[in-house]
Amino acid sequence: MTALNIIVCIKPVPDPQHWTKITLDPVTKTLRRESIPSVINPLDKHALEEALRIKEKHSGYVTVVSMAPPTVIDNLREAIALGVDEAILLSDRSFAGADTLATSYVLAAGIKKLGKFDLVLCGNQSLDGSTGQVGPEVAEFLGVPHVTNVRKIDFIDRGLIRVESAIEHGHILMKVQTPVVLTVVREINTPRHISLIRISEAMRKEIKIWTMKDLDVDRDMVGLSGSPTQVADIFMPEMKRRGEILDGEPEIVVKLLVEKLRQLGVM
Amino acid sequence: MDFGFTPEQEMLRKTVREFAEKEIAPKIDWMDETGEVPMDIIEKMAKLGFMGVLVPKEYGGLGMGHIERMILLEEIGRVSPAMANTVQVHHLGTAPIVVFGTEEQKKKWLPPLAKGEKIATFAVTEPTGGSDVLGMQTTAKLEGNNYIINGRKCFITNTHIASVIGIAAKTGEGPKGLSAFIIESDTPGFKPGRKENKFGLRGCNTGELIFKNCKVSKENIIGKEGDGLKVALVSISNVGRPGITAGALGIVRACLEEAVKYSKQRVLYGKPISDLQAIQWHLADIYMDYEISKLLMYRAAWLRDKGERCDAENAMAKFWATEAAVRCAQKTITVFGAYGCMKELVPQRLLRDAWLFISGAGTSEIMRIIMARQALKMA
Amino acid sequence: MKDDRHESVWIFAEQRHGKLMDSSLEMLGGGRKIADKLKTTLAAVLFGHNVENLAKELIAYGADKVYVADNSLLSFYRSEAYSIILADLIRQHNPEILLFSATAVGRDLAPRVAAKVKTGLTADCVKLDVNEQRQLLQIVPAFGGNVMATVVCPKHKPQMATVRPGVMKSLDRDESRHGEIMKVSTSLREEDMKIKIVEVVTEKPKVLPIEGADVVVAGGWGVGSAENWKLIEELAETLGGAVGATRPAVDEKWALEDQMIGVGGKTVRPKLYIGAGISGALQHTVGIQDSKVVVAINNDPNAPIFEGADFGIVGDLREIIPCLVNEIKKLYEK
Repeated sequence: MTALNIIVCIKPVPDPQHWTKITLDPVTKTLRRESIPSVINPLDKHALEEALRIKEKHSGYVTVVSMAPPTVIDNLREAIALGVDEAILLSDRSFAGADTLATSYVLAAGIKKLGKFDLVLCGNQSLDGSTGQVGPEVAEFLGVPHVTNVRKIDFIDRGLIRVESAIEHGHILMKVQTPVVLTVVREINTPRHISLIRISEAMRKEIKIWTMKDLDVDRDMVGLSGSPTQVADIFMPEMKRRGEILDGEPEIVVKLLVEKLRQLGVM
Repeated sequence: MDFGFTPEQEMLRKTVREFAEKEIAPKIDWMDETGEVPMDIIEKMAKLGFMGVLVPKEYGGLGMGHIERMILLEEIGRVSPAMANTVQVHHLGTAPIVVFGTEEQKKKWLPPLAKGEKIATFAVTEPTGGSDVLGMQTTAKLEGNNYIINGRKCFITNTHIASVIGIAAKTGEGPKGLSAFIIESDTPGFKPGRKENKFGLRGCNTGELIFKNCKVSKENIIGKEGDGLKVALVSISNVGRPGITAGALGIVRACLEEAVKYSKQRVLYGKPISDLQAIQWHLADIYMDYEISKLLMYRAAWLRDKGERCDAENAMAKFWATEAAVRCAQKTITVFGAYGCMKELVPQRLLRDAWLFISGAGTSEIMRIIMARQALKMA
Repeated sequence: MKDDRHESVWIFAEQRHGKLMDSSLEMLGGGRKIADKLKTTLAAVLFGHNVENLAKELIAYGADKVYVADNSLLSFYRSEAYSIILADLIRQHNPEILLFSATAVGRDLAPRVAAKVKTGLTADCVKLDVNEQRQLLQIVPAFGGNVMATVVCPKHKPQMATVRPGVMKSLDRDESRHGEIMKVSTSLREEDMKIKIVEVVTEKPKVLPIEGADVVVAGGWGVGSAENWKLIEELAETLGGAVGATRPAVDEKWALEDQMIGVGGKTVRPKLYIGAGISGALQHTVGIQDSKVVVAINNDPNAPIFEGADFGIVGDLREIIPCLVNEIKKLYEK
């Protein structure tokens, strides 16, 4: 098989270890998330790992594409340090405020600009938004088929892939023609760590930044103006729990607990 | 004066931190309980290049500097001081070959050491003493094309996992009476002796090396006869000592994080104890010790990277960081109250680990002697 | 005949192996409430092979109309055929609202369709409502549930959403209900499909799945050992519940990845959740917020989990759990 062209879409997300620091401004109804470092969305790391494995097995060229503000460029450097060949950041003020449809539109435009591809890999969903919508929507904009919940990928030949997709209580085995978009789940692999050997090279590599004028996109379809959905309200859910601490010797305390649970009808 | 790290150094730190948290952290309890070295972790670190930071690229290493090495060891030490010490002693064992080795010796030993395929150590201390280097009794007698080595080294790290062992031994009398040798572990006449059962830094292998008529080719001498003291002191001062400093700094960092986290959670008198001035002063002291140790350590590394002589700075950083590690671990236990004494929680282990660093690579007393030499030149 | 008005609430009804999914029946129940509020009709869309009898069931569960596409091409879900036919239906009939249950299929199909018809889609809603402007109010968790958002789709139709299974309630089955069944045809052929299904494999779950369990007993780092973990399993078994775990417990291999609750894992909504040896870090608790009753067992009185619990017992789980198991067994014997 000649070298495969693989594209991986990654999303920098706020580091979950710092999520307790996210606060809600009650006046503007916006989330305050400054100074929270960003990490590559964990499921996207599995997508990156799979791309690298395919490249090692069959020979290929892996390009990472991300739509994000320039502040997260270090996350793309991490992808290069892991071993991808190229990283492209799609960044423009007018891309901001995008919902999944507007995001997918821009990502697809970036991918189209790269030329012919065999496979696009994404994580099944992101840690923060968890919609799982971008993969299928990008596939629609690219006019190629897609499969989600992918646990196993085997190239039969350049034009055909054997795919295993997880479903409730089982899985589906399929044969899919390329080019195709596959979104992967955690079970597919264990992502590698960055090797110190690659760090210098990764820091020196140029990361291309494509703005609005570099892409063939319609102003009305990007960012806030291209987003059919809008957030009307944001609120912190209230944790209204009784918070009753039961005191005493184990035998007594459990008797008390069981009685209370029985009364509430949960036992 | 730029006190910042480069983006490359920041990525190095992030990478090692993630590795330590994901791969090393789950092994800590096992290491503390059994006292054994998790060789699967050593293998993983080796594949990612951790073992060859100071080895030049042409021999398969990363060709990085001392600042990068300090970042690597500080981040490992923050999670496991025992693992940091294992790695740093491997670097120490590699150093004499890098600095003083012949081209043949470098070509022979550096590639497997850089890749972590072989583990190294360097041994000076004997039952006769560590500080009293010239009092050592291990001898190396030249007979034809070989040296016959007899003696015993103790309190050495990596004794049972190293296959490339550097030692200093007596080939004569006085300061020019020591020579440095590399012995491979499968050499007849060599065997590792007892494994020590330490109260801290468990999971790092400490033990004895026994040489009984061990025949070693004269090609294995590092430098010339009589260079032993220089080889030992330079390697220990520039690589061994800073390695311990970095592990100790990791402990101080861990103390700071544990103490702050706990004090914010622990509620007494209706509010978190982090609101109490007494606790805040403890936290301030730990923070101050962290910053001081950090600055001394990285400045000494910066001098080494510039190629400048920095024995006093290395000693000062080691003294401060290791003493601070013990001090801050004690303070952390204090902040935790009775919980600080419970084996399930981290602070008691930090104290047990910290104490081992005081005597490694030169005691605090020896560090003062080295600093005094420099101080005497100051006026 | 093209219908220019935007009316009617549509539910995508899922069938697998000739059986309607419970979650689809739930969606009809929820959809009925919304259709009634909007004073409009409720329709179900059903694709499959030899599924005409299921259409009648959908009417019995609340649908006024059922669009059925019956073709061997459609016997098992594939995004290509399903999304093309569904998008065509949407363009023909202009539904106001289109809802899916957030099953693996729903979450795969809905976005493909939304991109085809260029409309908005909100995933995994935990609540739906409508306002006076006939806007569907879609309430979703973000950041693992730490934050909730109300999303609207003001200018595009249909307003699409996938809904978390278990959130809505199905109506009682009523055979006397009447409805229209509309047959949908397609010109798609198997040869045009780029995805071919080789096999559909059912897997027996290794452990009782935590999703959908009425009782979940979860353990964390504080359980301490694989030996102690047996206490968690025993308590779960006694209550007929499923075993859940935090990430540290999964890392220790006391539990499987499938049992992990919280960020990166699953969200559970049992009637009863008992967490033992769990500190209550946000990364776990975001996964249990919708439980009806939360009980915490921990020997650290300052553990954050007590704040988020209805009942808390401070003590050693090695003592508490055996006592609790005994007490429950006594209760069941009565």
